[in-house]
Amino acid sequence: MFDAVRNNKKVAQIILAMITLPFAFFGIESYVRNAGTTQDLASVGDNKISMQEFQGALREQEDRMRQQLGGKLDPAMFDTPAMRRAVLESLINQRLLALQSNKNHMTLGDADLARFIATVPALQENGKFSPERYAALVASQGLSKEAFEQRLRYDLAMQQVAQPVGEASIAGKAPAARWALAQLEQRDVAEVKLLPETYATKVTITDEAVAKYYEANRPLFELPEQVRVEYLTLSRDAMLAQVAVTDDEIKARYAAKADTFKEAESRRASHILITVAKTASDAEIKTAQAKAQDVLAMVKKSPNEFARLAKEFSQDPGSAAKGGDLDWFGRGMMVKAFEDTVFSLKEGELSDVVKSDFGLHIIRLTGIRPEKIRPLVEVKPQIQAELQQEHATRKFSEAVESFGNMVYEQADSLQPAADKWKLTVKNSEWLSKGARLPAPFDNAKLAGAVFSQDAVTHKRNTEAVEVATNTLVAARVAEHRPASLQPLDTVKESIRKRLMTEEATKLAQKEGEETLARLNKGEDVKLAWGPVRSVLRAAPAGFAPDAARAVFKTDAAKLPAYAGASVPAGGYALYRIAGVKPAAEDDPRAASLNQQYARLVAEEEFTAWISGLRQRYPVKVNSAALEKK
Amino acid sequence: MAVYDLEEQEQLDELKTWWKQYGNLTTGLLLAVAVASAGWQGWNWYQRNQSAQASAVYSALQQAAQQNNATRVKSLAGELIDKYSGSAYAAMGVLVSARAQVAAGDLKTARAQLAWAVDSVDDDGLRDLARLRLAIIMLDEKAFDEAAKQLVKDPTPAFAARFGELRGDVLAAQGKTSEARVAYEAAIKQSEAQQKLVGAEATPANSNYRDMLRAKAEQLGSAQ
Repeated sequence: MFDAVRNNKKVAQIILAMITLPFAFFGIESYVRNAGTTQDLASVGDNKISMQEFQGALREQEDRMRQQLGGKLDPAMFDTPAMRRAVLESLINQRLLALQSNKNHMTLGDADLARFIATVPALQENGKFSPERYAALVASQGLSKEAFEQRLRYDLAMQQVAQPVGEASIAGKAPAARWALAQLEQRDVAEVKLLPETYATKVTITDEAVAKYYEANRPLFELPEQVRVEYLTLSRDAMLAQVAVTDDEIKARYAAKADTFKEAESRRASHILITVAKTASDAEIKTAQAKAQDVLAMVKKSPNEFARLAKEFSQDPGSAAKGGDLDWFGRGMMVKAFEDTVFSLKEGELSDVVKSDFGLHIIRLTGIRPEKIRPLVEVKPQIQAELQQEHATRKFSEAVESFGNMVYEQADSLQPAADKWKLTVKNSEWLSKGARLPAPFDNAKLAGAVFSQDAVTHKRNTEAVEVATNTLVAARVAEHRPASLQPLDTVKESIRKRLMTEEATKLAQKEGEETLARLNKGEDVKLAWGPVRSVLRAAPAGFAPDAARAVFKTDAAKLPAYAGASVPAGGYALYRIAGVKPAAEDDPRAASLNQQYARLVAEEEFTAWISGLRQRYPVKVNSAALEKK
Repeated sequence: MAVYDLEEQEQLDELKTWWKQYGNLTTGLLLAVAVASAGWQGWNWYQRNQSAQASAVYSALQQAAQQNNATRVKSLAGELIDKYSGSAYAAMGVLVSARAQVAAGDLKTARAQLAWAVDSVDDDGLRDLARLRLAIIMLDEKAFDEAAKQLVKDPTPAFAARFGELRGDVLAAQGKTSEARVAYEAAIKQSEAQQKLVGAEATPANSNYRDMLRAKAEQLGSAQ
């Protein structure tokens, strides 16, 4: 082997040089970076979107949606193929923007980044940037400050790229007006419907046709397997009625939890407030103090006039009108200085001028409710309910295992279990396999169990299935009907009806289309046209979407013009367009249409621009990986 | 051992003769590669540096646009055009500025800046956008022929539908109803073709846009 190398020195040297070169220029990453691409979901240019990144984005989207829906999010509704695809698409778009921004050497300077961070409203406190809030935000993302800023820089650079395209779009007055003109056009339309019922008499359905349909569509006439079951529900709620609580227990609990039944002291006070702003100057403070002293003097002079004086002088908008009354409050509900004073006064006593964050107060204590402990009589029902819940929970959790065992071991009857836990065996209605079943059989596991081989043929108890929290159900098949095909005679009439409608619909459609063609040729056809109605393109009230489309699609240069469309419920409708009312110049609805147009155009330009990028940086989606969970 | 010594000696001689013959060439080549590499790095550094400066101006421009300060936007866009005409920021700045100028009613500046972008920007997409918006302003100013001239050349396929729509708008404004209708219908086809090319998942909003085009086309049927 070494000889081979020696004899082909030149070749070996060249190979060596070729291996060295990439290391020298690109470093080792060029070999490592693209390793393990099997889990990649998509590639954008030379860039990959990994499964991990996708999962992260999916989670973020889920959180966002959960927040919007106030915590209620059905995972089944969220984790759909369409949703997964949409999340992937937005990642692809981000990646395209990033590539574009990179190619143009775009970045954001430190000063601009700092300015951006400083202006984020969530990071401000009292109108100023708060470094503590910023640190907290960064920490909550689980990132270092550097990494966070790098990410932000990257995001902002992407925004820089996107703004000129979408947000800076110019819709133009004339193009918008042209659309508004179309949307606000009204057409005067009369309608005549050709309904299948009218054609039913012209249709004859032979017995052969019915039989043929029956043979061809057997699965439609199959009745599913059905069972009727006996079942037993063991739940915590059922236990509730079976547990008793003794008075001694209640007393013991009352003694043990005396703390919770204590009501802290509360007081009631009235005050007169002279406000002093935090930023007030010395002079302002002095004036306020002088005023407060004056008021205090007046109160002292005529103590019975407190309420009137409060109404006149107090600057507390909440209490002034009520004569300064603040109602009952406990400790911890008022500012410190205020509270300290209130809790040091005697009932009816008046304070000196007290200073707090709000300003200067003159306080009178008007009531004291001393600390008290609620008596047993008062809290007994509460304690009793609590104990009952606890007992029931205990009894239920003790029962869970033995219940499961008993229905399994004595598999030919539910009665022993019912006797043991004082439950009643209930009977269900007929349950059809695969249909939507009533509770508790809407639980998939229980439904599966009642139709299982063991339950149906051997008539054994099902296992105890937890159908909800703290609720177990065991069932046992009482009666069983196997799946069966309904005989032709039973379903004959319904088949005939169905075929009749189908044929009649076809006839109506055919005649409708022929009539439309004749009308368009200018022939005079006698039809029972309905009343003329005005229909607006933007909001065709009372018209099916297909019908409105047909009416407005029709060239109305020559009147009357005719249109036709299938009726969603069956049949065909013909329309006679008798008049066209163009939009008025100053229609007030035009303004909102113009806005709508601007959005539409901005969206279109952005999509178009992104699809241009897609051609520059080819996008490949790994659909197999996307569908796999 | 001696045998190997002799062989090594031979190799050494071979190497010496080789060096005599190609030494200068090799050194020269290496030097050239080194210089080229340094130059490339330098060029990249220069571009990044230019970009960083342009980025600062562009950020200021975005901010001014947000505050509806059209005069400042105008002068910052001018600065980008004068000093950083090669940078993508110049084109982007012009597009943002044009919108601000239109909002402020200064159509003349918007036209001049967009016209610069149409002539001087390298990026296809941004250039098409500039051309499209220039034509829209011209149409709004009732300069139909000028607008039509801007729309003559086909844009990149992605913008074909938008250009088609605008051709239709210009023709309709000129009273050429049936030609306008043909233009709108062509735009619908372009939009469909584009969606097929890129995939429906990537362009979910396209069908709304086509409905809009359809409405414009059909309205002309009743306006003769």
